[in-house]
Amino acid sequence: MHALIQAIILGILTGGVYALMASGQTLIFGIMKVVNLAQGALVVLGAYLTYTLFTTLGIDPFVSILITTPLLFLVGIGLQWALLRPLHGEDVAQLSLLVTFAIALAIEGALSFAYGATLTNVQPTYANYSWTVFGYQISLVRFVAFLLSIVMLGVLYFILQRTKFGRSVRATVQNPMSAQLLGVNANRVSALGFGLGAATAAAAGSVFGMLNSFNPGSHYDLISRLLTIVVLGGLGSIGGSVVAALIMGVASSLVSALASPIWSDFTFFIVLLLVLLLRPRGLFGAKTRGAL
Amino acid sequence: MQLRIHTPEVRRSRRLLTVVGAVLATSLALAGCTATTTSKSATKAPLTIGVSLSLTGDFSDSGKAAQRGYALWVSETNKAGGVLGRKVELKVVDDASSPDQVVTNYTNLITQSKVNIVMGPFSSLLTVPASRVASRYHYSFIEPAGGGPAVFAQKLTNLFFVQPAPTTSGGDVFADYILSLPKSKRPKTAAYAKLDDPFAAPIAANIQKRFEAAGIKTVYDQTYPAETADMTPIVAGIAAANPDVVVGGTQEGDAFAQMKAMIQQKFNPKWLFEANGANSPGDFPAAVGTSNTNGVFSSADWYADSQVAGSKAFIAAYLAKYGGTVQQIDPTSAEAYSAGMLLQEVAKKTGKVDNATIIKTLHSGTWPTLVGNLSWDQYGAPKGAYLLIQWIDNTLTTVYPASKAQAKPIAPKPNWAG
Repeated sequence: MHALIQAIILGILTGGVYALMASGQTLIFGIMKVVNLAQGALVVLGAYLTYTLFTTLGIDPFVSILITTPLLFLVGIGLQWALLRPLHGEDVAQLSLLVTFAIALAIEGALSFAYGATLTNVQPTYANYSWTVFGYQISLVRFVAFLLSIVMLGVLYFILQRTKFGRSVRATVQNPMSAQLLGVNANRVSALGFGLGAATAAAAGSVFGMLNSFNPGSHYDLISRLLTIVVLGGLGSIGGSVVAALIMGVASSLVSALASPIWSDFTFFIVLLLVLLLRPRGLFGAKTRGAL
Repeated sequence: MQLRIHTPEVRRSRRLLTVVGAVLATSLALAGCTATTTSKSATKAPLTIGVSLSLTGDFSDSGKAAQRGYALWVSETNKAGGVLGRKVELKVVDDASSPDQVVTNYTNLITQSKVNIVMGPFSSLLTVPASRVASRYHYSFIEPAGGGPAVFAQKLTNLFFVQPAPTTSGGDVFADYILSLPKSKRPKTAAYAKLDDPFAAPIAANIQKRFEAAGIKTVYDQTYPAETADMTPIVAGIAAANPDVVVGGTQEGDAFAQMKAMIQQKFNPKWLFEANGANSPGDFPAAVGTSNTNGVFSSADWYADSQVAGSKAFIAAYLAKYGGTVQQIDPTSAEAYSAGMLLQEVAKKTGKVDNATIIKTLHSGTWPTLVGNLSWDQYGAPKGAYLLIQWIDNTLTTVYPASKAQAKPIAPKPNWAG
């Protein structure tokens, strides 16, 4: 029983971090109908930026989010403007897959050149600290990361629901043509949306770097998890991606601790398969698409 | 008696034959001269060594470490007069960590560049196809970084792995140490967390076999896939089983993750052995925190405080050439350097450095290198054992076998510093 509850705690905390990464992924899809294969690479880029700020300037990884987030926001806008905006025609969805994959490879190559392929991680003094609560261990970094994810998702929710930009985004998601007719600048919304998605990757990257060893190739595993989460949650649904990330975190943790780590990810894919058989749009796809 | 009539045609033919004969004779004489010249200059010609290394791709860090080791040996050897008076020239080509490219590279090195000697790439994945090429052309293949079972299963007699034992025997020395303890002081229960990898899992599996035979009960035994980034659920399972000894069949990243998860979950076994990762003098303290390294066991062939003869000179030369700190020297550099040392030893002993001599000579005797005294079975598998090392006061220290130990092993393991 102890192992079961401990696994659930770990799963929820880990799922929170994945929720943050996946929220950016699903936001970009919601606005642009682009499956961003570079989201994992942007997370890794965020982790390396945090690592550099920490090792060279001694900036705390959580504090560094204040620097990396706006930085990757601008990078995201730049990428959308330079590489995705010029895509036109009926093949945009397929072409954007190739373009975002190319971005991922370019980021990986640049990071390999700058940092090498050796695994590294961000190791502040509190990285391994944990609290004992009723006999259960709660890692400080995971807990703060979980809180941070909630705060970031809250900010994202606020932006989308309470700002003019958010209304433009939601209008674009619901009906791009009508939104443009009503004066919404689709290019601007897309660029800012991509920037926002990249910004969430930066925040998640800072946490990811403290929780895991990483190298430039770590994005392959990340992107496969993120895609699975957003498909399970329903492409374009932020709420869905949060729920799916928590399901993935808890399912993986439970199966890994109580059965076998070999079956951990496989179990999640079985859940995904079952959900898609019953609800092809994912858990929240049909209901909330358009509302984000 | 036959009348011999010399018609003009016959005379012309004879003149032609005479001219052809003269040309042939001159050619032969010249060829002889050339041969003599070649054989004379061969003694002065540089000794060319070809190596394919992963300078890009997944293995690039280790590939570059091997390159530094080879290059250092070449420069040190040339400073000392070369091999049998011949200057050594190293030709390194990049295989981009690709098993296909490595085949092309060694074929080109042998047939196009016509190097005198080839030496090994990084990793068993590349060593297997590379050694086949070398074998096909009857080249010796001294290789510092391919010790997986697939390498020796090829049954090649031209191959020599420059580490003390096959990679999968890396944990045998830990089993030796534990089983050398009086029965009352041995662990009673054990947990095994193994990475699903042909080099990592067998190390733990070999230890498990011996522990179980000695009555040490297995209370946790799981294999995890390579993509497992988060080890906390696994460590939660281990902590619930509460074993005396934990054996990690690990590579580097998962070893760090295992230990971080143990620290976070405040689970401290009496003995902790990590097959790889904990033997990395620079990366390991950086990953888990220097104060958390105390008491962790691993195995190694070469490390910064190694007491093997020549190690200190190697370190001094390395730092002079490349800078950095001693803790940043990758053992792969020492292994590649040792590959060169073997060549020099063969030359000293036999006065020759041709491939047939190298193969024949290395198959007998024991050979001193930075990674210990090496000898091999007929298929190039080393017959020695790794050293058991333990982190004591922030330093990797040899603790077993007793004959080579710098200190006694610390057990039970001190608590994590947090």
